[in-house]
Amino acid sequence: MGYQDDGKDRRVTQLRKGILELAVMGVLYHERHYGYSLVRVISETGSIDLKEGTIYPILARLDRDGLVRSEWVQSDQGPPRKYYALTSAGRQLFDALNQEFDLLVALVQRKWKAEEQPEQTRKKLFIRKG
Amino acid sequence: MNEYPTVVAAIANDYLERVKSQLQLVPAREQEEFLLELRSHLYEAYRQTPGEDDVARILTVLRNLGEPAEVVSDRLPGAMVRSGAKRNLPLYIIGGILIALFGIPLGFGGMGVLIGLMAALLALAVAFYATAGSILLVGALFMLLGLTRFLFPPVFDLLISRGFIQLGPLAEFFDQLTVADQSLVMILFAGVFIAAGLGMMWLGKHLLRGLRFLFRLVVDWMSRFAKTIRLKLRKEQPAGHPANLLSFVHSDK
Repeated sequence: MGYQDDGKDRRVTQLRKGILELAVMGVLYHERHYGYSLVRVISETGSIDLKEGTIYPILARLDRDGLVRSEWVQSDQGPPRKYYALTSAGRQLFDALNQEFDLLVALVQRKWKAEEQPEQTRKKLFIRKG
Repeated sequence: MNEYPTVVAAIANDYLERVKSQLQLVPAREQEEFLLELRSHLYEAYRQTPGEDDVARILTVLRNLGEPAEVVSDRLPGAMVRSGAKRNLPLYIIGGILIALFGIPLGFGGMGVLIGLMAALLALAVAFYATAGSILLVGALFMLLGLTRFLFPPVFDLLISRGFIQLGPLAEFFDQLTVADQSLVMILFAGVFIAAGLGMMWLGKHLLRGLRFLFRLVVDWMSRFAKTIRLKLRKEQPAGHPANLLSFVHSDK
């Protein structure tokens, strides 16, 4: 019997929420963006059906923590846009989080192999068995 | 063309008003800036959304953006965010009543009263901790005396004879007890005092939490009040403020 759809949706949403901040930082790492363009990039690149409003609390949080800086830029096509870019602290944090994320992905996808385990870990296992 | 159709502008403005109503505790300038950012988002999203029906297009944009409460989360002051989980928190209600009673109607006078009140509460907290500290100190002294009486009776007697320890009306009572019993009584006293002191320290955590909450509310209110006064005195936006970059968003009115 399959898992209930609403339960699955809830978990997918939770998973995305957790990673979205990292995704936002990842996009801003390479290029500055304003809110709407950020939404477009994440939706189109990541093929994610994103609730656009969720971007702003994330940006507010990053701004509050000094991880992004912002500036208003006049636009020919309408209202001025508030552009965000990662600060040096934000870039450092992203590098660290990205490494953690890689480890988690590897763990989830089980890319590790038993023979690659460190020597010390194997010894511990052996002692326990004994 | 940089303008919405009137009906679209009305819908967008209504949405922004709902967002604004969620941002009441956010400083005015931050509020204004965020609303401008959202206006920009709405405008761009509206332009990018295909369709013949203007109303359907703006409604699609708003649906994609989400409810105002979702959009503003993480912008509310710390005190408000924390109170969100405990809406019935009595201190929050008291803070609201104090501000309503003293802050708004009386202006600066109310602010003075609030500052006085906060100072009094702070003094109360200091007095509370001083009392708790004293009780703990008394407990520690009793413990020391009890142990001295039990382990080094001659030292205790010497301290009595030199007048360093004065038992006062308890002297007669203590004279009827053995040395071990005297020690036991003093250690029991010490236990009671130490327990009371530690209990007060534990209760103090809640007192401090409540005070911290009230302080945040008052500081936030005073900051908004000061900003309002400053803006009224200037009577115009400061140069370089994002609101000055654009006026078309109001042009449909």
